[in-house]
Amino acid sequence: MSALVELDRLGKVYSTRTGDVTALSEVTLRIEDGEFVAVVGPSGCGKTTLLKILANLEQHTSGVGILGNNELGANRSDDVGMVFQKATLLPWLDILSNVLLPVTLKRRASAADKENAMDLLRMVGLGEFATKRPHELSGGMQQRAAICRALVHEPSLLLMDEPFGALDAMTRDVLNVEVNRIWRDTHKTAVLITHSIPEAVFLAQRVIVMSPRPGRIVDEITVPFGPERTLELMGTPEFGSLCAQIRRHFEVSAA
Amino acid sequence: MSTTTSTDARTTSATPRTTPRRRRDAGKRRQVVGSLVVLAVLLLAWQFLPTALGTPSYVVPVFSDVLAALTDPAAFPVYLEATVATMTEVLLGLAIGVTLGLVLAITLAQLPTVYGIVFPYIVAIESIPKVAVAPLFVIWFGFGLSSKVVVVVLLAFFPVLVNTLHGLRGVDKDQVDLFRVNGASPMQMRLRLLVPAALPQIFSGLELAVANAMIGAIVAEFVGAQQGLGVLILQAQGRMETPAVFALLIILSALGITLNVLVRLLRRVVVTWEQH
Repeated sequence: MSALVELDRLGKVYSTRTGDVTALSEVTLRIEDGEFVAVVGPSGCGKTTLLKILANLEQHTSGVGILGNNELGANRSDDVGMVFQKATLLPWLDILSNVLLPVTLKRRASAADKENAMDLLRMVGLGEFATKRPHELSGGMQQRAAICRALVHEPSLLLMDEPFGALDAMTRDVLNVEVNRIWRDTHKTAVLITHSIPEAVFLAQRVIVMSPRPGRIVDEITVPFGPERTLELMGTPEFGSLCAQIRRHFEVSAA
Repeated sequence: MSTTTSTDARTTSATPRTTPRRRRDAGKRRQVVGSLVVLAVLLLAWQFLPTALGTPSYVVPVFSDVLAALTDPAAFPVYLEATVATMTEVLLGLAIGVTLGLVLAITLAQLPTVYGIVFPYIVAIESIPKVAVAPLFVIWFGFGLSSKVVVVVLLAFFPVLVNTLHGLRGVDKDQVDLFRVNGASPMQMRLRLLVPAALPQIFSGLELAVANAMIGAIVAEFVGAQQGLGVLILQAQGRMETPAVFALLIILSALGITLNVLVRLLRRVVVTWEQH
């Protein structure tokens, strides 16, 4: 396997009026092509900063980061798909046009692009909603459409920033199963930011644990389950003990 | 008493075929009928109260006199010419003012530093009663069309500028990130995100601009003009023809209402995602 992402002692310092704030410190991380990695940690641990650096929305201030063949921050890479906490669909476009946005920002959407977008929508059960406006869909359906949008231009890296944080627990479970299926179908490299430990363990092959002040990686846990995850898995003792193992990091740092 | 009411409510809601929409439509119909009844009462009062109270016609003319002045065939070409003159000022001024307001707002929204420098002046100028500068514009631009247009531009410009700026600066940060992640150019960011997202506020600005434009045109005509509805009002006042003054006010109201309705219809057609 080859690495898609390689971060070497990556750091980020914000200069504020009251002095410098270290958001990320010495983050060294290697993500293999096709891997699903989850990053967990309490708020303020820099996990969102890490994601924004990977998306080239923010620049790191020290260390080196490589995504694919490009150095992070050097030139803009459009090679990522991003799912935000809110669905962030444009209310003036129908669902199909929303999904096609990453394509239409670069060129005219071809018939093949549209077919590809429709395939994605059908994959998440939204085939019949292509011509609807976002406000006609439920929150879960909107977030499904947002996932399609993040995949439509076939990015090499899928970034998800607490994508289901705003949804109710039941919709969350259903969507987690769906994300697992999409990941198995598309073989996309995925990075999930979450503060839900069970969600991280459920979806990822590897869980990166971060701790705040300054934001740094404190542990990496390989999840021993196979690629296919079902909701029954969440009830097993292995799943529970893995979650407990991760949770202990935060109990210690809180004390 | 309260028992009866609650029973009534229950029977209404239990009636099988009354869908919520139909009930809403019925409610709306009742409101329209109510408004028409109020109008009829007001017009009847206008017709009979002045005579009953012995008010002279040059103070408050009865409604039928106003109607006669309004429908006077001899006055019609005069009214028409004046309406064309006033509406030319209004529409020309609106077109220029709204365009300037939009362009400046879009430019300022993407230049935070310039925005910071200019903003206090925008607030300051906004709080000046701008019609007060109309006499100055007559000195500068004369008694013709241009001085009126300039007043209308000034009055239409600010609500569009301020509301559009508000809309552009309130765009969701995640939506901006979405465009940045996907490598959107500054022009794409403007045309495909910022402007559509600000459309509801832009239309609010436009509604204010339309109302202001009418005020601007009439006040500017009062100050100094050769033609227009404002000029006719002054002339009728000079001859103590109060029914004609009222007739002209009715024409002005009708024009103002028409413009407002047009803007709101346009808003409904353009901003389809807005919940009414």
